[in-house]
Amino acid sequence: MTIIRNLWRVPSARFALVVLAVIAFLTLVGGALAPHDPLRQYTDHVLEGPSAAHWLGTDYVGRDVLSRLMAGTRLSVIGAFEAVLIGGVLGVPSGLASAWLGPRLEWMTLRISDTLVILPFTVFAIAVAGTLGNGLQQAMFAIGVLISPIFFRVTRAAALGLRRQQYVEAAELMGATEWWTLRRHIWSKVLPNVAVTSAQATGAALLVVASLSFLGLGVSPPAPTWGGMLASDLDYLAQQPWAPVFPGLLMMATVGSLNLLADAVREAAGDPSRRRSPRRVTVRPEQKEAARA
Amino acid sequence: MSLTVAPEAGTSPPEIEPQAAPASVAPARGRTGRVTSALRALAGALAVTITVLLLASVITFALGALSDSNPAAAVLGETATPEDIARMNHEFGLDRPLVVQYVAWVGDAVQGDLGRSWFTTIPVADSIKQALPVDLSIAALALVLAILIGGGSGIAAALSNGGAVDRLVTLVCSVLATLPPFVIGMALIVIFSVKLQLLPAGGYVPIEQDPAQWLRFSILPSLALSLDVAASIARQLRTSMVTALTENYAIGAEMRGYGRSRVLFGHVLRNAAAPTLAVIGLAIPLIVGGAVITERLFGLPGVAQLALQSAERGDVPVVLGTLLVTAVVVVIASAVVNVLQRALDPTTRRQGGPR
Repeated sequence: MTIIRNLWRVPSARFALVVLAVIAFLTLVGGALAPHDPLRQYTDHVLEGPSAAHWLGTDYVGRDVLSRLMAGTRLSVIGAFEAVLIGGVLGVPSGLASAWLGPRLEWMTLRISDTLVILPFTVFAIAVAGTLGNGLQQAMFAIGVLISPIFFRVTRAAALGLRRQQYVEAAELMGATEWWTLRRHIWSKVLPNVAVTSAQATGAALLVVASLSFLGLGVSPPAPTWGGMLASDLDYLAQQPWAPVFPGLLMMATVGSLNLLADAVREAAGDPSRRRSPRRVTVRPEQKEAARA
Repeated sequence: MSLTVAPEAGTSPPEIEPQAAPASVAPARGRTGRVTSALRALAGALAVTITVLLLASVITFALGALSDSNPAAAVLGETATPEDIARMNHEFGLDRPLVVQYVAWVGDAVQGDLGRSWFTTIPVADSIKQALPVDLSIAALALVLAILIGGGSGIAAALSNGGAVDRLVTLVCSVLATLPPFVIGMALIVIFSVKLQLLPAGGYVPIEQDPAQWLRFSILPSLALSLDVAASIARQLRTSMVTALTENYAIGAEMRGYGRSRVLFGHVLRNAAAPTLAVIGLAIPLIVGGAVITERLFGLPGVAQLALQSAERGDVPVVLGTLLVTAVVVVIASAVVNVLQRALDPTTRRQGGPR
């Protein structure tokens, strides 16, 4: 809570937190609050502009755009979260292991990370859909695997810098087990970096999820998603050139807020990715946040 | 939608990691030492590249091996009998041990044979050869546009450092980073095709058939594809140029009476170009991946169209082939960028290896 209170003092972070709270709210209850059934087709109101009944107009089969946006938030956001979670679970432990468990493993993990970095998201996701089946789980797995090098590198860089610190060496000399050192000294320093990365990665994952649903991967068509809505808007640009604006703005606000938040957290923590010598060694992370703000 | 963590912080590409190529960090002693260390750096980079390619092929093959689809079920559907499945598995060599299959697959792939489609039995390599030029030409034009747009606005921003131009460039870059590239593409379609009716919203003419028509059809897709990368380039170039302008050598050159433009283009830009090239190297997978979206957006007959159609009907060899070819294209392009970066950056060259 201290972290949130500190972030609240920064205007840009406050804006970001408000936007993200709205998105979180929509994710949880957006479908239930939607004024219309997002799948109901008002066939005599096809491709209409904003009106009292349909605030943001209707799409090509007469579905309410506002309701689809509200209901579509859930799949889009949860998908991104799932991908980031998979990426973190794969990337963070392997990043720590790579900094800790000797040069041979290090070389191998680096090469695997290099390989995953060169695989483009969309092509890989298509290949996964073609071999393992086209579903939300498969798509999120594909994105998660390709996101993991980001976590791997950030964790590795932070852990490598710490490994050479005297107090870490001292702990090892005094007979601390590797596991204890990792938990006591490393984890608390790596965590802020992982938090910043998670925020950025969630933003990036949202865009990738949208791209995949735009291609028809992951979510089957009638279910609303931001990317899927844009895909159906594409075919009616001549009739409704403004239609992509609404999902586009929603996505922009979400991703922009995540980026703003990541910047604010990074600044609050004094750019942990750059700092090599932590000043307060025994202070717990939440106290550290408080002390710096 | 740059996935690189904070491009301004100079995110290092794989090769710049000190551990990436242990041979390359050997200190250079004298002229001969410099030559051997350069050779060793090259050998190290080559080993990394080959390992990456091998790993990419393993990942690709693993996807196929994990898949539970088989040619008989894919082609015949529900009516496939166990005998049909066994016969077709044998026909496509799927009854051999996985290791044997992998070695055969990679061996053929090196010789340009990626197997045959389960449905049409057309060689996968032929289908890809037909579709790949579309993506390559669009991606190449996009890269050129990205460098022109990103480079120009980055230099302009650095020159106005803190002024109106700088703030405008920064704002546009931040907005571009929060939008998926296809939204930008849709905006371009609305502006140039629907409203102004200047350019076609879809379709394609091969470049060897009619270069002028090709440009007419390619300019919008390439522009849509380039803006995202242009934003990363502009940001990186601005940051490194602003830093370089305050360095001693730049101030010294100005004090010695060199004109502003000579300092800028002769000294500062050259030093700022290397980290910018690193950003371009990291952006290559984004461009290639974005080309897939662009194809869908503008209805181009490229590799992604092929991959998507094949994925839909479970044509595993084609899907695997496209992934492998994409990986190879990205690796080659990244290697070219790395070589350029090495040639441009005085610091990496002097040490005979990465910093």
